[in-house]
Amino acid sequence: MRHGEEHRENNFAGPNPAKALPHQNTTPQHYNTTQQPPHTIPMPLDTSTYSLALLRLDGRRWNELRRLTAQISTQASADGSSYLEMGNTKVICTVTGPAEAKMTGTGGGAGDKALVTVAISIAGFSGVDRKRRARNDKRVSEMQTTIAEAFCETLFTHLYPHSTIAISLHVLSQDGSLLAACLNACTLALIDAGIPMRDYICACTAGSTSSYSSNDEQADPLLDLNTMEEQELPFLTVATLGLSDNVSVLVMETRVQVGRLEGMLAVGVDGCKQVREILDNVVRKRGVKILEGSQL
Amino acid sequence: MTSLKRSLASDPYASNISSKVYVRSTKSGKVQKIVRELYLRQDIPCSSKLCTTCIKTAPRDASGNLPPFVLSEKPAGTKKYPQGHYLIPDTNALLNALDLFEQTSAFYDVIILQTVLEELRNRSLPLYNRLIGLTKSEDKRFYVFFNDFRLETYVVRDVGESINDRNDRAVRRAVKWYTEHLTQAVKGAGTKAAKIPAVVMLSDDKENLKKAKKDGIDACSLKNYVEGLENADQLLDMISVVKEGRELRDAKTAEALYEEYFSVSKMMTGVKNGTLHQGIFNVSPYNYLEGSIKVPAFDKSLLILGRENINRSVQGDVVVVEVLPRDQWKEPSTKIIEEETMNKDENADAEEGEAVVTERERKALQEEVKKVHSKSSEGRPQPTARVVGVVKRNWRQYVGHVDESSVSQSIKESRKQQTVFLIPMDKRIPKIRVRTRQAGEIIGKRVLVTIDSWDRDSRYPVGHFVRSLGDLETKGAETEALLLEYDVQYRPFPKAVLDCLPTEGHDWKVPANTDDPGWKDRRDLRGLQICSIDPIGCQDIDDALHARPLPNGNFEVGVHIADVSHFVKPNNAMDAEASIRGTTVYLVDKRIDMLPMLLGTDLCSLKPYVERYAFSAIWEITPEAEIVKSDFTKSVIKSREAFSYEQAQIRVDDASQQDELTQAMRTLLMLSKKFKQKRMDAGALSLSSPEVRVEMESETSDPIDVKTKKHLATMSLVEEFMLLANTSVAAKIYEAFPQTAILRRHGAPPKTNFEELANQLKVKRGLELRTSSSKELADSLDSCVDPGEPFFNTLVRIMATRCMMSAEYFCSGTQAYPEFRHYGLASEIYTHFTSPIRRYADLVAHRQLAAAIDYEPLAASVRSKGKLELVCKNINVRHRNAQQAGRASIEYYVGQALKGRIVEEEGFVMKVFSNGFVVFVPRFGIESLIRLRDLAEPEPESVFDAEEYVLRTSGSRVVEVGLFDKVVVRISDVKEESTGKRKVKLELVKVGEVDTHE
Repeated sequence: MRHGEEHRENNFAGPNPAKALPHQNTTPQHYNTTQQPPHTIPMPLDTSTYSLALLRLDGRRWNELRRLTAQISTQASADGSSYLEMGNTKVICTVTGPAEAKMTGTGGGAGDKALVTVAISIAGFSGVDRKRRARNDKRVSEMQTTIAEAFCETLFTHLYPHSTIAISLHVLSQDGSLLAACLNACTLALIDAGIPMRDYICACTAGSTSSYSSNDEQADPLLDLNTMEEQELPFLTVATLGLSDNVSVLVMETRVQVGRLEGMLAVGVDGCKQVREILDNVVRKRGVKILEGSQL
Repeated sequence: MTSLKRSLASDPYASNISSKVYVRSTKSGKVQKIVRELYLRQDIPCSSKLCTTCIKTAPRDASGNLPPFVLSEKPAGTKKYPQGHYLIPDTNALLNALDLFEQTSAFYDVIILQTVLEELRNRSLPLYNRLIGLTKSEDKRFYVFFNDFRLETYVVRDVGESINDRNDRAVRRAVKWYTEHLTQAVKGAGTKAAKIPAVVMLSDDKENLKKAKKDGIDACSLKNYVEGLENADQLLDMISVVKEGRELRDAKTAEALYEEYFSVSKMMTGVKNGTLHQGIFNVSPYNYLEGSIKVPAFDKSLLILGRENINRSVQGDVVVVEVLPRDQWKEPSTKIIEEETMNKDENADAEEGEAVVTERERKALQEEVKKVHSKSSEGRPQPTARVVGVVKRNWRQYVGHVDESSVSQSIKESRKQQTVFLIPMDKRIPKIRVRTRQAGEIIGKRVLVTIDSWDRDSRYPVGHFVRSLGDLETKGAETEALLLEYDVQYRPFPKAVLDCLPTEGHDWKVPANTDDPGWKDRRDLRGLQICSIDPIGCQDIDDALHARPLPNGNFEVGVHIADVSHFVKPNNAMDAEASIRGTTVYLVDKRIDMLPMLLGTDLCSLKPYVERYAFSAIWEITPEAEIVKSDFTKSVIKSREAFSYEQAQIRVDDASQQDELTQAMRTLLMLSKKFKQKRMDAGALSLSSPEVRVEMESETSDPIDVKTKKHLATMSLVEEFMLLANTSVAAKIYEAFPQTAILRRHGAPPKTNFEELANQLKVKRGLELRTSSSKELADSLDSCVDPGEPFFNTLVRIMATRCMMSAEYFCSGTQAYPEFRHYGLASEIYTHFTSPIRRYADLVAHRQLAAAIDYEPLAASVRSKGKLELVCKNINVRHRNAQQAGRASIEYYVGQALKGRIVEEEGFVMKVFSNGFVVFVPRFGIESLIRLRDLAEPEPESVFDAEEYVLRTSGSRVVEVGLFDKVVVRISDVKEESTGKRKVKLELVKVGEVDTHE
């Protein structure tokens, strides 16, 4: 029940209702245009509509990958190369090496292992806004390190002492799951370069249909997110080693409720296996062509 | 180098993938081209229970659940479609008549297409949200069909085809598919159910209907469809008149009455450059032709005078204004202008020859201008502005009644459609023009309407009728009107919420076994002498107190608050409902609870003689009221007694009572006085607002009398300890969660707010009001006394209260620490903790405090700043609405209590206009306007001295009325024509004291 403290306090709640309310609603609001200019095409719905029919923004179900296509040996001049599309995310990868380390600087495998270096360049036209990235963009360098470390562990670098394996990635188009696409493209290019490795590193992203703080009990995990979904939902990137459940990369930068993490991870790992299947097919097709002697 | 080009032929997906390219412009004006993939599929079910094929391929969610099919196998039929039918509305149908779809009498089994949903979302977010709400309700059977993702119904936009045409085509394609699919499904099933429901497209677009006919699909305009239903008349009114009206007018090429709004981009650039200003439009309660808008660029609010300048804005709209040249700046008007007296006899149907500003209005305004010019040299003109555009309409549903004079007598009984004026209860909203067929029936009823549009060529906004609440002045209708007007959620709790209650119901008890998980980390305080003190008849007791001396001479004092967070777990349906309701609303005869009764008045309520879970704040306090240490814990208590304020007071005053409980209360009283003194010394304000209580007859609950509330020492006892608990908890949760603590602040009012009052006091009484700090203000308010008139001080306090800002909840990460201050309580930090049964903010504070003392982990929803900000925003609005609803309810019942009575009573003049004045009657807590024309017939001549705040009349009646003057008024009740409310009417008897000699 109400006490005086409230009355006392309520006294400050402004004037009587029937009278002027000078303080009501006077906070300046941000300008927002509710009226769409007539010529623009309507914006599509957002991720909150998932629960209506269990369909995502682009018509996929929760456990479906986008179309993933790849080619291998796309660039004859490189030691290994690949081109990979995950939906509208498109990446070219070339590998140089293993080559003898240059004498200058600290480059080159110090000691008995090869050094893996990764350089990512993101094309200015790849995103929605034309944007030039700074040379030492933090996000890009973090991706480079992540990829380099993952392959350091998987490649048999001890076979190539004092040498460098240089991986170069060019992002032509971005539509989510960028790190995963880069990892997959690297795997293909490294295989093309003939560098021995333990197994494929296959990556994909996994998310959850409701945002961190929403109280949706029945959040579904999602596989392979596109840009819109990445912007609105929590997600992680996971990479596994071949068909095993060994996780070699796991990156998550968004907040997610702990309870949902396990489901997301399980879906992600499962997705990685599907990715491996696809990558393996690409490699095998290429192998068949080589055997037929028609690779050039 | 090999080619990277994909050969599409080899791609198994190729036919299933399409892409969607669209262009959008961002807020900053950039144009973006966005390309997205579309995966077309064939496993999107039709969701009809008739279909047996779809269910086989229907999708399951991650946990393997199959969403149930929605559309019934035996949908309702109409005359035209006796076999039953499913509806597929297009976007316009929903835009024009969403109210119809929310009806419970018809509009079941509706298929909402993705195309339509998208379009609706872009056109109107509120409507979109309402529609989403509909799709979630089980009994309405609305199904969202994602036609753009289904291979068979996906439509590619042709070259040169407009997006609207493409969407219309998509709708028709979907209708066609549904028809064919259902036919197949029924035939395939081979049963003799055999009745294939028709799939009917609803559209108001003639072109679309024509094409549909050509395609051979069932289509119908909304109007035609509704006419085929049973209660057609009622439903027809709900179709928005926008379209029809426009067609009508196009024919007439009516002349535009108002100026056109600026384009969005022009407004945007203007606001950015600072040449235009954006703010929320507020209408003066005394003058409907005067609005004001507060913008950051000016410290005084901008005035907007006259219909042309107001330019179709309605109270609450977010508008963009242009400031007028300085020579047009004016003082706020000192004249009362009411719409009902100005434009009494307008004809609602008259469309031609209608001017924006009627002759009378023009005259009224001109007088104003003259007055301003005469003394603008030393006046304090306020900047004026005109509205050039509306950014966001804040239209809601309005409660009002039909202006009887606008209904033509001859067709009152007939079913013919006619246009009537609807007068909203809120005086700040203009009359609404409504076309209806039920004019005869809704006269004398409280009705709910919405505004649809306000075109340049119409003097008044155009709206449509939603439903009738009941007869004017019946308790049910008036209460519902009040609740609707203040947006109070009053529907019974849904089942999902009730399911969250403990299954034991009223038999729930604190577990006897202390090993029970409920006892985990709870302190056993059952042995303490705890009691509660509340108003008479209180059922939801959320606080109790105890005090006992400690061996070292100090006291241990505990405040025990109902442990609501134990019962209301975050993120369940009950929590969601409570967070929407935000607060319990107290009306004179009714309480609208935030939580279900079972919790509020039983399980949570700290009733006497039973054990209850509580959240306790326990302090060690020295006899000088210094806090030595404080401690918070979950506990189990057993209240010894539930006192009313009066009982407690009697017991404390009775020296013969020497039991422990009474002693404890005396200790508390002693400490509370010291706390209060400290607060006052720190500059806490003691303000006033008129407080009255309506006495009801116990059986009929008819109001019989009005009493002013009496203040007892025990009231401030409870009050002080609640303040103490709130302040201590605020500090604690802020320490634990510096970014996300829920707190309450009260901003210091800007100096300009007090300018007028300070000037009035100076001129009339030679008193000075210092406002530089709350301490100064408190002191100078204390000195505002009139030895001959004890009430004068209270009057000044009431007026000062109206100059204050309103207190608000906020999330600590959104403000800097100095901004946390509570100006009125002179406290550095403050929150609400002591009433979780009736305020959601307290419940959040409970959860945060529980996490701060490591009792339980913090739920994610109260840890995220964005989420909390939304909660705060909502409960701020709810809190304000609840107060206003409460006051409006008291106002209504005071009117009812005085019904048929005539009393003479003392009052005080609070405000003087050039053609009237406002009198406040403390006995009933009412304030009302007395206009010159109320004084005598014919209206007396008057001279208004704005400097001295005096109104002198001559002629038919000679009186001199000055601000703060004591007057005697005769109080009677009248039904106010404009709002349909029964209101008290004041008549001036004389200026000065009541003559006791006669």
